[in-house]
Amino acid sequence: MGELMNKIRLHDGLVYDRHAYGMGPGRDPELLAGGLEPPSELELKGMESLSPVELEVFQHKMTSIVEEARDVYMALSISEGIITGDMNTSIFTAEGDPAVVATGIFFHTLLNYPQVKYILKYYRNDPTVGLRDGDVFFFNDPTCGGVHTFDMFVSSPIFHKDELIGWAEVGGHQGECGSISPGGFSPTATTRWEEGLHVGALRIGDNWELRQDILDFFLNSVRNPFVFASDLKARVATCKRIRDRVLREVERRGDAQVAGGLRKILSASADLARLRISQLNDGIYRSVIFNDGVGLESGLIRLPTTVVKEGDQLTVINQGVSPENDKGPQHATWHLMRASMGVYLFTYFFRGLSPNIGLLEPIRTLVEGPSVANCGAEVAHGEGTTISAMNVQNLHVIGSKMMFDSIYKMSVSAPFSRNVMIYVYAGTNSYGYRAANFTGTQNLAGQGARFDMDGEHASGFYWASVTDAGEVEESDMRLPMVTLARMVDKDIHGFGKYRGGTPAVEISSAPVQGCELTTRGASDRLSHNPGLFGGYSGPPNPRFVIKNVDVFGQLSNREDEVDLSQYSLAKSHVLEGDYQFSYSSKPTEHFKYGDLFIHSVGGGGGYGDVLEREPEDVMADLRDNVISVEVARRVYRVVFDQETFRVDDEATLADRQLAREERKRRGMPFEKFIAEWSKLRPSEEKLRFYGEWPEPNAPGYSRLFWGLFV
Amino acid sequence: MRVSITEYLDIELPSRRWLCNRCDADLGPADRSYKEGCLIANRNPQEVHPVIGTDAHFNFSFDPEWIRLIEFYCPGCGTLVETEYLPPGHPLTWDIELDLDAFERRHLPGQISGGEMPL
Repeated sequence: MGELMNKIRLHDGLVYDRHAYGMGPGRDPELLAGGLEPPSELELKGMESLSPVELEVFQHKMTSIVEEARDVYMALSISEGIITGDMNTSIFTAEGDPAVVATGIFFHTLLNYPQVKYILKYYRNDPTVGLRDGDVFFFNDPTCGGVHTFDMFVSSPIFHKDELIGWAEVGGHQGECGSISPGGFSPTATTRWEEGLHVGALRIGDNWELRQDILDFFLNSVRNPFVFASDLKARVATCKRIRDRVLREVERRGDAQVAGGLRKILSASADLARLRISQLNDGIYRSVIFNDGVGLESGLIRLPTTVVKEGDQLTVINQGVSPENDKGPQHATWHLMRASMGVYLFTYFFRGLSPNIGLLEPIRTLVEGPSVANCGAEVAHGEGTTISAMNVQNLHVIGSKMMFDSIYKMSVSAPFSRNVMIYVYAGTNSYGYRAANFTGTQNLAGQGARFDMDGEHASGFYWASVTDAGEVEESDMRLPMVTLARMVDKDIHGFGKYRGGTPAVEISSAPVQGCELTTRGASDRLSHNPGLFGGYSGPPNPRFVIKNVDVFGQLSNREDEVDLSQYSLAKSHVLEGDYQFSYSSKPTEHFKYGDLFIHSVGGGGGYGDVLEREPEDVMADLRDNVISVEVARRVYRVVFDQETFRVDDEATLADRQLAREERKRRGMPFEKFIAEWSKLRPSEEKLRFYGEWPEPNAPGYSRLFWGLFV
Repeated sequence: MRVSITEYLDIELPSRRWLCNRCDADLGPADRSYKEGCLIANRNPQEVHPVIGTDAHFNFSFDPEWIRLIEFYCPGCGTLVETEYLPPGHPLTWDIELDLDAFERRHLPGQISGGEMPL
């Protein structure tokens, strides 16, 4: 560690570089928090044989294999999460390090090394388990290396004759897992024992055939056996496709070059990552984000991120994190915090480099635990991604501040929308089988504004921008709901010189047979979508449903045109019914035919000062129906004709100058501001899950590590 | 020389001062936060983010009892150089604390450059 790290004082009695829990069945902390394995003799031999050009060709070949596998997996699956891209496919080294990762959910793959390494360390030489060609292993336990119990994975060794060359790995958001709420997400869960199946690593098949007794066990443990069985077979088939393709390369290149090539991809990626980091300014960078609940209960949660950048190393520190609690499922593990960073790093920070775990080699991860970010094993983990995403948002802000003065400025942007709210529909679908899942609306979040242009509307999924929203006619068949409309809507993105992208809003209804709805979320009164350099945040998005509305009956009896947008429904109550706006995490609830669900996942943050946005761009936003007249006038301070949208340039210039003068009158010098600001404090009710105010876990320190108090 | 660190903020070398790059206002020494040189306002976020709907707390805007909008203005030209969304009274964030010696080594003439754009 360098001199800057000397400024960091980690708190005594807490853990940072490992998990807050120890050994358990199927989990080994050394494997969970470990780095790359050293290359084997076979790999060393292969690495030496590959020139840089040959390595590039090899890497492209391996990438084409996992991208083909991604298409295979999506095509074979029948659950919404997989079909729309909440999944990944990859190739691991023989020792279990993720080397080639498809353009799905990067962190899915970055998480699964501990399970594979566990198999190698504990099961391979165990005569009751063993490891052979054609074996199929299953895992989903979040404490053993997974995400949450409803993200399920399959992995198979790739043998050439008796030599282990690598591993095929396939998995994603399966959904239903036997937890207390149908469809996986269980906002009422307060311990892991309410979250369904927990499998560390289990051999479920031999010679590419699933064992019937184990399959029956699974199918008897979930509410949607038909979907579960079908998707499990899809994973196995995809693993086999990866294995067959890799073995074809072994036939061409020999086993040493394939095994060594996979390992060399990792070391080459680590070198490129170090080079990129070394080209940025050394310093300490900070960002902080808050949540407004822990599950069903409300309360502030703090997640700060500090990055120390020295030379070619980054240290990412989460210190002063709110403590873990026994009230909800929003708890992340150390490995989830680390792997989740890949979502930002691979897409923006390391843009252009191949996504694999080698890119994380120059990055030291210190997550304070026990806390909501590095929790114990017994708490509920189902919404740990809420916490790890808060860290990713901080990292995105920090990364943009690091890269502005660099040749990588093209990656400077406000974060992607992460006000994730998920509506999980459960019941009997139009085919007559039971299903429980969300729709592809998850994948229609708004992108954060970029340093030179607006964010894209309805751009993608937070965890993987390369996703698909799916066809509504198909999701209407596969899920017990009916989609009435999808649209971009007004005033739900971050404003700025460049504005964030707005999400698509999905308006849907319960079908004839009714359905169960479980909603989970965060950021209902606040937001996880910060702006950048004076840009405003994307706003909160709470749960919004309308009960007793009989939408089909009302629409058929109305002769006028009804605007079924979120904005219109919320503002004007254009249909009669029981309008409910609430905190988004709610227990499972029955909805009857014609009840309405209004759902979106939030807009991206803005970039820069709103007074610098071109007035004509503001008018374009008005015409595109993504801002209201109120925002154009009051926020952007554009003076225009409200019928023709013609801008009065002179009046706009004058009004914007007036706005600047208003700011200078409103703003206070630093010391005066702090004197007044530091007297404020949220109510005790809001701080009940927060930890010590203002900095959790630092009651004994005379100078706060974080802030700028004078 | 001046180096742009954010959209609106430069650091001048060798004086090591924060400057607004829209109006050249001096925002203080670069070994402290530029925020100490800004004018700062504590705003109700609903002044910027419109309330949509009829609920007092869940309305697609921020609840001002939970979160405040902190705006940092250039004292010279009134440009909004940064925002923070914080619970009332939460410490402001020292977001960019550069190693200025390393910064000078990287940028001053004759020093090692930041590198070339890879192909």
